[in-house]
Amino acid sequence: MKIKIVGLTKKFPGDPKKGIKDTVAVDSLNLDINDGELVGLLGPSGCGKSTTLYMVSGLKDPTDGQIYFDDEDVTFLAPEKRGIGLVFQNYALYPHMTVYKNISFPLTSLKLKENKKSFKAERARRLIEILSNPEEIADVITAVEKDNKIKKNDAVFALCSHYHISKLLAEQIYSYKLHISSDPKKDATKYVSAALIDVEEEKRELVQQHLILADNNDILKEDGTPIEVTRKLTKDEIDALVRDAARLVQIEQYLDRKPAELSGGQQQRVAIARALVKKPRVLLLDEPLSNLDARLRIQTREEIRKIQQKTNITTIFVTHDQEEAMSICDKILVMKDGKAMQEGNPQEVYRNPSNLFVAKFLGTPPINVFNGYIKDGGLYIGNERISDVNSSLDDKNVYVAIRPEGFIIDNKNGVFSLDCKEIVTMGRDLSLICSSPFLVSGKIKIIIDSDLKPEIGKIKFSIRPTKLYVFDGETEERITI
Amino acid sequence: MEKRNNWKAWLYLAPVLILMAVFTFYPLINTFVVSFIKDYNSSYGFNAQIGTSNRYVNTGFTFNNYGVVLGITPRNPSTGILDKTFLSFTGPSALGNTFLITFVTVPISVIIALVISIAINSIKVLKKFFQTVFFMPYVTNVIAVGMVFSIIFSRTGVFNTLFKLDVNWVNEGATYWRSMLILFVYIIWNALPYKILIFLSGLQNIDKQYYDAAKIDSASPVKVATKITIPLLSPQILYITITSFISAFKEYNSIIGLFNRNYTHDGNLPDLYTVVYYIYDKLNASSQTEYASAAAVVLFVIILFMTLIQMKISKKRVHY
Repeated sequence: MKIKIVGLTKKFPGDPKKGIKDTVAVDSLNLDINDGELVGLLGPSGCGKSTTLYMVSGLKDPTDGQIYFDDEDVTFLAPEKRGIGLVFQNYALYPHMTVYKNISFPLTSLKLKENKKSFKAERARRLIEILSNPEEIADVITAVEKDNKIKKNDAVFALCSHYHISKLLAEQIYSYKLHISSDPKKDATKYVSAALIDVEEEKRELVQQHLILADNNDILKEDGTPIEVTRKLTKDEIDALVRDAARLVQIEQYLDRKPAELSGGQQQRVAIARALVKKPRVLLLDEPLSNLDARLRIQTREEIRKIQQKTNITTIFVTHDQEEAMSICDKILVMKDGKAMQEGNPQEVYRNPSNLFVAKFLGTPPINVFNGYIKDGGLYIGNERISDVNSSLDDKNVYVAIRPEGFIIDNKNGVFSLDCKEIVTMGRDLSLICSSPFLVSGKIKIIIDSDLKPEIGKIKFSIRPTKLYVFDGETEERITI
Repeated sequence: MEKRNNWKAWLYLAPVLILMAVFTFYPLINTFVVSFIKDYNSSYGFNAQIGTSNRYVNTGFTFNNYGVVLGITPRNPSTGILDKTFLSFTGPSALGNTFLITFVTVPISVIIALVISIAINSIKVLKKFFQTVFFMPYVTNVIAVGMVFSIIFSRTGVFNTLFKLDVNWVNEGATYWRSMLILFVYIIWNALPYKILIFLSGLQNIDKQYYDAAKIDSASPVKVATKITIPLLSPQILYITITSFISAFKEYNSIIGLFNRNYTHDGNLPDLYTVVYYIYDKLNASSQTEYASAAAVVLFVIILFMTLIQMKISKKRVHY
């Protein structure tokens, strides 16, 4: 599903009496998201990214602007009617419910409108379908054998996940013991005929009520028209869906536990399963990885990406961690003070930041920013001419930003000299910490290949032109040189 | 280090420990002892002879006090009359009334308090106002409000006037069930504020995100209350249930406040007794300390038993 955000604004009213001004959390934001895209809202805390997400979810009402899901205006639609799944920052798993109950909770309130159907016939026919290949059943069950033993639970789980059926039906199939039968074919035939009798019985019962059982298990009126009903999901349907969702995020073995008995990463997956179980049109993730440790964060973010691609669900992902957003998103939107700064493919945004904020925000270690100036068609930091610039540019003060990987040690022809204070080995790379009187703030960090053997003291560098950006000294907007 | 400072801790605790030893532990143990003493008289030691007569008091160990209180053995063997005021299976009795009060007022007041506090918690305007309004009864005096209730429900009181009735609710001569009904209303009204206070503070501690999550899952308000709010409030509900069971078993003030007597029709049948009222009367009016002690021990055993049952149930139902 496509999402279109037009001029979205959220103001939190202040108190004029106490002299508190209105806070504009989100300021006329525009965003287009294509079907199946994973979009990252990226920005420092307080930039309005979460507020944007909550407005998309419907939990917060926008002050101005519209939100469209496909062509439907959902700006003021209640959250439960939007068909969204939301993963909260701290997961908000119900602590008193087991994982199973947590995941099934959204389904228990779900109402669906569809043609009336016979569950009995559906079940019997599904059973017949599965029994048509008794060897497959035996294979699935014997596959879980451990130490020459087959545990019932394992076998039932395996059946559930193989056939996408409920636990109840799986238990029934297991109870047929086809895997230890001397003649599974014969046994299966016996059970098939029993199931067929069930179907026939159901047919007969329906005929007595002047109804017809269709081949797709719908119950039809005598004139062949389907009967439309609004109903809740049955226990079997819920069970199958919960197990499907749990399988997707690999938490099947924890279904009976309480959230407190799970690790952070597992809780996170439960939260995703709960958001996905009712097959939402949009998945919203609010800083889903912020409660995990570094290693788990990398692993989980890749899993989120995998799940997102598997389900092909349009996803909005809020984070303050630029690395996280860059690594998994199809598109990122960098925000600052409620305004969109730049939007685009992550690599493209990194390569071509449109203003100083975006340049500073993306990349670890952060970009090095110097006070410089343009004079007579040259770019200067201090007295050193760093690069030529387009001669049509006026002379003015600018910010010169250079990525840490943009420095090349070049003591002969280097254009930029820095005082190297410290050398830090980081395995693959070396990190030089330098100082310069022209640096705007912080320390200069330079990353170079570890094969090089620089020495502390003055070093001359040449600069990779693709890693060098110039921003206007006043507007902080990018200047093409 | 730890050992050296130990005596300091004991020193600081000493005032409380001494007071508790004198006014709590000693009376507790003594009550238990007294309940087994034959012909107890607090003024004399064991096997003492009163004056020049041949009457001995404190003559030793007996179960008879319990027998008399529970209406099994007659107080005076020569008459053979059993005292049924504490326990009776045929009419109102102290223990019967206490059980009735407990099992009627506690569940009702807990449910009402729960509903009110959930309602207060879900409104945005006037929240503080209602919180104060519902807390008001807590700072009023039980006896005083009891007197106000007895005036409201008197023959010519507000209630009768308002509904154009002429019913004797609480005055002498009112029927037993009418008196009890007003008593229930009064106890429930009186029990609400503290419960609401505890529930409200519990509700405010529940993470709002659970409700956001439930909203997205289109859970109905009833479902949110039963599946999310109440389970998450269960520690407070357990605490309130146990403490109100205990205080309902000790109900006494409200009867004094509302009726200031232990009978409905006339003084012959004390049908408005509760266990604690009975104990007070035995202590003060008739100086039968041994029976009062026995009744107190019976009450203790009942409360202990009820609390144990509740703790057992709570293991399954309470989510911390």
